[in-house]
Amino acid sequence: MLKSSYQSIKKYSFLLQQLVSRDFKVKYKRSVLGILWSLLYPILMMTVMAIVFSNVFKFSVPGVNYLVYLLTGLTFFNYFSEASNLAMSSVVGNFSLINKVYIPKYIFPLSKCLFVGINFFLTLIPLYIVILLTGTGVNVFHLLLPYAFLCLFLFTVGIGFILSTISVFMRDMFYIYGIIVMIWTYLTPIMYDISMISPSLQFLFKLNPLYQYINFAREIILFHQCPTLASFVVCGVSALVVFLLGIFVFRKNQDKFIYYV
Amino acid sequence: MKENTMIQVDRVSMRFNLGIEKNFSLKQFFIDLFSPKRRKQKKKNSEFWALKDVDFDVKRGEVVGFVGSNGAGKSTLLKVVAGVMKPTKGKVKIGGNICPMIELGAGFDMDLTARENVYLNGSVLGYSREFLDSKFDEIIAFSELQDFLDVPVRNFSSGMVARLAFSIATVVDPEILIVDEILSVGDINFQQKSEKKMRNMIGGGTTVLFVSHSIEQIQKLCDRVIWLEHGQVVKIGKPKEICKEYLEFMKNK
Repeated sequence: MLKSSYQSIKKYSFLLQQLVSRDFKVKYKRSVLGILWSLLYPILMMTVMAIVFSNVFKFSVPGVNYLVYLLTGLTFFNYFSEASNLAMSSVVGNFSLINKVYIPKYIFPLSKCLFVGINFFLTLIPLYIVILLTGTGVNVFHLLLPYAFLCLFLFTVGIGFILSTISVFMRDMFYIYGIIVMIWTYLTPIMYDISMISPSLQFLFKLNPLYQYINFAREIILFHQCPTLASFVVCGVSALVVFLLGIFVFRKNQDKFIYYV
Repeated sequence: MKENTMIQVDRVSMRFNLGIEKNFSLKQFFIDLFSPKRRKQKKKNSEFWALKDVDFDVKRGEVVGFVGSNGAGKSTLLKVVAGVMKPTKGKVKIGGNICPMIELGAGFDMDLTARENVYLNGSVLGYSREFLDSKFDEIIAFSELQDFLDVPVRNFSSGMVARLAFSIATVVDPEILIVDEILSVGDINFQQKSEKKMRNMIGGGTTVLFVSHSIEQIQKLCDRVIWLEHGQVVKIGKPKEICKEYLEFMKNK
């Protein structure tokens, strides 16, 4: 199974690449500033968030630069919410194609997660500018950050597979998921610190894999520490479990998709 | 599979659930959840067998035609062979690469240019980058769209889009060709050109599955004809005999 999946990915990597570059081209083709928006948009959004939370609401997290704290969480969470949303609608949105030619269907959610990944890396640029401007500084542990990115990616792909499967059978999912993401945003310590939660509830918040990935990155960026071994294991295992679960759910149901066109 | 068998369709059945649309919403889902009896009844009523125990082999280089009235299951059968649909029962074995010309221009993006769409559509059809690089000029030359290479396809006329799609789809030398009606697209000149190209592809020694409502084309091009009605094979045989019987059947219908 593993070997055939690998061969299939190799065979369809060109298609995957075409789909990602199509999304990227189409997104900016008709705007005047074009690809610049990829950089401008997160900068502007981050500026708004920073002003609202640190100046208007006077949020702060003891011992660290709040702006960097907030932006790290936002970058991660925004990737997840955007990619999972696009992945969810990708199969239903490509039914006209699925109905005409044979294409492995996992290509669609996967290409969306990769496409948003490009944006994710572009938003790292303003993030690093802020890190340098605020004097937070960089350290050697930043080299470990790709591990957190990889976990975030695998987790998102897994969720994307599950969501795209459910949405084929039940289109209500598009609306339901909008609410779920909103709740998820507030239950993930992005704007606040987990220490603000009562200790008895903290345990529940830590079950959220997204918190684990964000925390992993914050340990490095804000506290200049190497994440603990436990942190490595928790991130890796949660990502892998959700990723494999997503593959399992998708594979099990993909042949039925065609009946729901 | 035998050495010179190219396609083996082994007792293929295909079931559709026509009432499926009703199960789309949460509300219906819960209603059905609490009345399993009604659900079962409903499921049975809305079941529809598009193909029933269809069974045949196609040899290498053979041109097989399909006839039958609308809704007989011809297009569904082609889609099952092309791998677009997985049969509910039975198996399909394929001995080579397939070029499905079921619908042209799958995956065209109207916001992209002709050049970009050649690569996008090509990748959707399963061509590799190297192949497209080497055939790019041929595709464009055939479509006669040299002057519009970098124009977004949304500005094309529908005839121009069809010409581009046709040129991309027919640039391959497939081992198995699946054709749903011989297409002639574009203006008169291009219609003649595209029809000739398709006839060449069909007559060029490849294995062909060919659906058409033109009895004349079927008789001219096919080695064998399969007559489908209500998802079942009525008869398989020589084009002349089958076409005659089929025409008789349609007259008396």
